[in-house]
Amino acid sequence: MLARISNTKAFHWLGRQLMNRDNPAAWLDPLTETLNPMWVQEYTPARVERIIAETGDTKTFVLTPAKRWTGFQAGQHVNICTDVNGVRRTRTFSLSSSPLLWELQGQITLTIKRLPGGLVTNWMHDSLEEGDVIGLTEAFGDFQIPQPAKPALYIAGGSGITPILSQLETMAAENYRASVALLYFVRTQDDVIAREALTALAARWPALSLTIIATHEGKEPRYLKDSDLTPVTGLQVREVYLCGPKGLMDLASDLLNQRGVKEQQIHSTFFAPPAQAQLDGAQLGGEVTFTTSNLMVGSEGDANLLDIAEAAGLKPQHGCRMGICHQCSCRKTSGTVVNRLTGKVSGPGEETVQLCVSVPQGPVVLDV
Amino acid sequence: MKKLNDDQLNELQKDLDAIRDEVLADLGERDANYIRKIIRLHRTLEIGGRVMMPFGFIPPVFVAATASLGIAKILENMEIGHNVMHGQYDWMNDPSLNSQTYEWDTACSSESWRRTHNYEHHTYTNIIGKDRDYGYAVLRLSDDERWKPWHSLQFINYVLLSTLFQWGVGLHELETEKLTRREIRLRDKIPFLKDFARKGGRQAFKDYVFFPLLTLPVAPIVLAGNVGANLIRNLWASTVIFCGHFTQDAETFSEEECEGESKGHWYLRQLTGSSNFTGGKWLHVLSGHLSYQVEHHVFPDLPAHRYPEISEKVQAVCKKHDIPYNTGTFAKQYGTVLSRIARYSLPDALRTRLEGKRELQAI
Repeated sequence: MLARISNTKAFHWLGRQLMNRDNPAAWLDPLTETLNPMWVQEYTPARVERIIAETGDTKTFVLTPAKRWTGFQAGQHVNICTDVNGVRRTRTFSLSSSPLLWELQGQITLTIKRLPGGLVTNWMHDSLEEGDVIGLTEAFGDFQIPQPAKPALYIAGGSGITPILSQLETMAAENYRASVALLYFVRTQDDVIAREALTALAARWPALSLTIIATHEGKEPRYLKDSDLTPVTGLQVREVYLCGPKGLMDLASDLLNQRGVKEQQIHSTFFAPPAQAQLDGAQLGGEVTFTTSNLMVGSEGDANLLDIAEAAGLKPQHGCRMGICHQCSCRKTSGTVVNRLTGKVSGPGEETVQLCVSVPQGPVVLDV
Repeated sequence: MKKLNDDQLNELQKDLDAIRDEVLADLGERDANYIRKIIRLHRTLEIGGRVMMPFGFIPPVFVAATASLGIAKILENMEIGHNVMHGQYDWMNDPSLNSQTYEWDTACSSESWRRTHNYEHHTYTNIIGKDRDYGYAVLRLSDDERWKPWHSLQFINYVLLSTLFQWGVGLHELETEKLTRREIRLRDKIPFLKDFARKGGRQAFKDYVFFPLLTLPVAPIVLAGNVGANLIRNLWASTVIFCGHFTQDAETFSEEECEGESKGHWYLRQLTGSSNFTGGKWLHVLSGHLSYQVEHHVFPDLPAHRYPEISEKVQAVCKKHDIPYNTGTFAKQYGTVLSRIARYSLPDALRTRLEGKRELQAI
């Protein structure tokens, strides 16, 4: 009853008048958070139920999102948000469980590999404990199971297996009617994520043919090669899904093209680890995308974002042009910038930046 | 104004930047915990005040409810809103503490405040003719402005401005003085007036219509308490702000001397144009740490609760460069503000004669 009232337009309007904010329900968050973090309204809270070690550097986090979370389709991702040393960090991960687990038990899983130097993945491995609560967005992404069923080939590398796990689980449960091949590349046999789940799937679902290839066990690295595709029957009619490091995805695309697989049959997804940014004048500049204005311009050298925007004919709000007044602060949705006052390099994700003192380092996307 | 050559200004900039960099490198969980603790206190006081108010027919409850709501508004405006809008907590990347989207509990809209305060006042601090906060265009506080007969009654203006401070601040961007001088047209201000009506209307609706009507049988009591809470906040906010720039020794500047200024010169102007007052921990919290106005003006986007921690370093820099550091007890600083308002209400001839006499007495 209360939920129904609180969802009405009038109630929301009243909330805005009284709380001076667009999400009035979150006004109480600072207080309720200390009582029960699952009551937070600003994002969808999710409790960590269990943490399972998959390999030496990969863990699966079993989460229970608050009931208002709206679910997902196999192969989609979510953003999680969490405060690390006082700073809210947002990162994207693929859901590794089948939507059935959410529908039946209200749980989801994220399978996350520790990235060398990665702030959030290391924090999750080292500091996140069972019983803790993190924030969740709604699921997104168009890496989806073919409907109606078509033969499929998955080529996965390392932690790129995670969205595929979700899809395979779902396909097996739905008794997917076409043949499915998985080529899974790992550094060594110890690095296989969810080995038990994969072997169990292959055993109970005959349509799946599973091939695990270790790349770094011999003297020479053993990467994907053309002969790996030979056993895959009817390759030209399969939908192909690529998920893994860029090197693997590029190699796979080339080999598939040579074998006559069309571009539109190939689907790929992956989140590359953040590029190591260096404070080198030659590396400054890059393509700047202003999403609200639907505009894209290139930049060179140490031109700041405010100058770039103005040169492109935009008039973003600004003030002192010297990094003092924050009039020009706005959301950066992706890309790396260097603060010209401090020389500090930003993270790659979504955050607030001061346009007048931020210099792009590679492509940057702004909410302007 | 204290004069420094370019090398000295560069040196000053380096010294102050070093203090700033040290704090920036250390920002983290402690600062996040601090502001969230203040926000929890604010929510508790506001809820407490609103819940107690209808029982205000019991006099001690009325006092407690009004004080609780008044202090909540003070905390929200000064330690949370003002500081969040300066971008002091933008590094936390928390959308509810974002400088560009935060909306505060007062008649002035955040948009307007960010223009008039963050940009105009903090960039052109105490430059007569450019910093419209200097005297708020209703008070004459230095001889840079020519005396006119109506200035003799400016103490009344001061009392009115303090009493209705949130509405004064809300209408600040209307630039009435430029309208009367016909430098701008009223029609240029229509977008601003719409914005003001929306935000001011929202505030008035909340405190003077919605909550009184919600508890209709005791509406007059709730209305009186809410008016009281706003009045407490108005008087306190105006007093703190006046102590920040209008004390005896806070300097003013001309447009010419600031043309094309360096960052070092900007720093120097912030140091000499601002004034602090001393007091206990809660006096500082309730002033939003504007009691450390000098530190705030030098580093407007560092979390304010850091100002007490860096104050000694800032004082050492001032000493090194032989720049005065203006501070004193709250009573003393406020005393000089009142005397400044009174003195400059007099014609210059009379004022200088009186001041001369006082100096003679002092000798």
